[in-house]
Amino acid sequence: MKQTRILVVDDELVIRESLTGWLKRDGYHLSSVSSGEEALETLKINSYDILLLDIQMDGISGMDVLTHVKEHYPDIDVIMITAFGSISSAVQAMKSHAFDYLLKPFDPDELGVLIQKLINHRARIKENLFLKEEYEQKTRFESMIGQSMAMQKIFNLIEDVKDTDTTVLIMGETGTGKGLAAKAIHSNSQAANGPFVSVNCGAIPKHIMESELFGHQKGAFTDAKETRKGRLEMAGGGTLFLDEIGEISMRMQIDLLQVLEDKIFYKVGGTQPITADFRVIAATNANLKQAIKDKIFREDLYYRLNVITFTMPTLRERKEDIPLLAEHFLIKTTQEINRGVERISRDAMDELMLYEWPGNVRELSNAIERAVVVCKTRTITPLDLPIVKSLENELKNKYFSLNDVEKHHISKILAETSWNISKCSAILGIDRSTLYNKIKRYDLKNSQPK
Amino acid sequence: MNNMDTIIVSPIGDIPLWMSDTIATGVGDFFRFTARVETVLDDILFAYDAKRRQYHSTKILEALAKNTPNDCIKIIAVTKEDLFIPILTHVYGEAQLGGKACIISIARLIAGLEVEMANKGCKRIVKEAIHELGHTFDLRHCDDEMCIMHYCRKLDDVDRKSNQFCRYCNIFLADSIRDLSR
Repeated sequence: MKQTRILVVDDELVIRESLTGWLKRDGYHLSSVSSGEEALETLKINSYDILLLDIQMDGISGMDVLTHVKEHYPDIDVIMITAFGSISSAVQAMKSHAFDYLLKPFDPDELGVLIQKLINHRARIKENLFLKEEYEQKTRFESMIGQSMAMQKIFNLIEDVKDTDTTVLIMGETGTGKGLAAKAIHSNSQAANGPFVSVNCGAIPKHIMESELFGHQKGAFTDAKETRKGRLEMAGGGTLFLDEIGEISMRMQIDLLQVLEDKIFYKVGGTQPITADFRVIAATNANLKQAIKDKIFREDLYYRLNVITFTMPTLRERKEDIPLLAEHFLIKTTQEINRGVERISRDAMDELMLYEWPGNVRELSNAIERAVVVCKTRTITPLDLPIVKSLENELKNKYFSLNDVEKHHISKILAETSWNISKCSAILGIDRSTLYNKIKRYDLKNSQPK
Repeated sequence: MNNMDTIIVSPIGDIPLWMSDTIATGVGDFFRFTARVETVLDDILFAYDAKRRQYHSTKILEALAKNTPNDCIKIIAVTKEDLFIPILTHVYGEAQLGGKACIISIARLIAGLEVEMANKGCKRIVKEAIHELGHTFDLRHCDDEMCIMHYCRKLDDVDRKSNQFCRYCNIFLADSIRDLSR
């Protein structure tokens, strides 16, 4: 289960310990640090959902941390903690988009209610994202592409498992195509004519998960206006794909295990048993063995799912597939949005090959899609690629010399004017010969087709 | 059943023996362990905060865990003093999550109850004792309002919830007990 991750930032040890100890009982994942400086460092390495932040601390103050968090980590919600007498700071914090504030010492109920309110608020946002993703998934289908050895092995594995009905667990980083592999297994199996029902366990909010999976009888709960089929029932005669299985709650793990073992399930509020007539394919980017050690994933469910397992290769491990994939995404995108972009320049392809692709094939697909949109000619150049860092982004991370800035600016204007020397020199406010000298000095090359 | 299957109910101060016995019977039956009453801490003045006029429960837990007899699997202290942890105004009880020791205060659980309502107060105390012991078995708060591991914001809610674990918490408890025996 992806627990709500809370970071407590307070310079008093006793406060940190009592808050973390108390909130752990609610099942949250707690960490704590003793200063604003430590908080900023921790945020670079770990991700959190909620910050409980003391306003008054030596060094970087709580207010400064709040400003930084809202600028760099807008998804984190912040609850400020303040002592009696510093209400004005709390008001200021609210203006700076803190979610709320607490006056210490606070009533245990007050803390619990506030955190629950915040979690519900986050769940609503997540629900909206889930609905959007659902829509996008319905409008998108791609086949698996790759000639590398790594992908050939995957194709062979898919071939081996397609005619069995055993459970398959697909591991791999985000964006490696676990969902496509699951679809490929389904499409080539005997159940290919049956439905392929996908459940993104990480995207469905906890409070609707049970009803989403099992369905519900009319009147089972307040909002159950009519009887509804769940995803398990919809997958009958086909394949149930449980994506991001590592994110599922401990309770739902118990229910799923029961379904996999007993082969029957019940709608919420229902008494009629329904036969679980589907093949299960699960996928995760999490380290489930570690999750078992951390007691957030059940060992019995892991062994039930882990009948046949394979790991999707990262794009870094199959760089030879990048040109093929990039061309595929180029054709697909230009057709979808009707743009006249025809090719990817050699320099741009070199950039694609050099980049590490932490977001894997999905990131490559997005990069090409963006490049097609921003490209002003028929050829994608390095400057069209989001992976080639913009000066603004680079400036955020390091200091540049004036020469670096000048080189980058000239290069940008040259690209924007399609290397029209007259136009470019006019924009830069220098004469043509000076521009030629600078192009020579900075070794700038025109990568656009002539 | 060996000695490590014993839960100790440890009264602090003048907790009536019948109350300690009732808690011991309640938790023993519930967790299916032997339970006995044994005083471990004679006084808890070391945890007293004169400014707040309350007792710091975490400090008591540390002392309790340090002095726990070797033959017990879990220990629950019972006090009539009002407890707090520094960030909160008060707590009904505190537990070492997945640890050995926990404590409950009966102060707020029986506040306002007439003598003839002692039975109601006792039921609350046993429920909260089981709840805190549940934490020592690594159980978290439960969303099910009827489950004994549900965190109650009001005493009425404590009265309303059942004296049982929900089916999920039962499984989590079984997992925890299995892990202890490994």
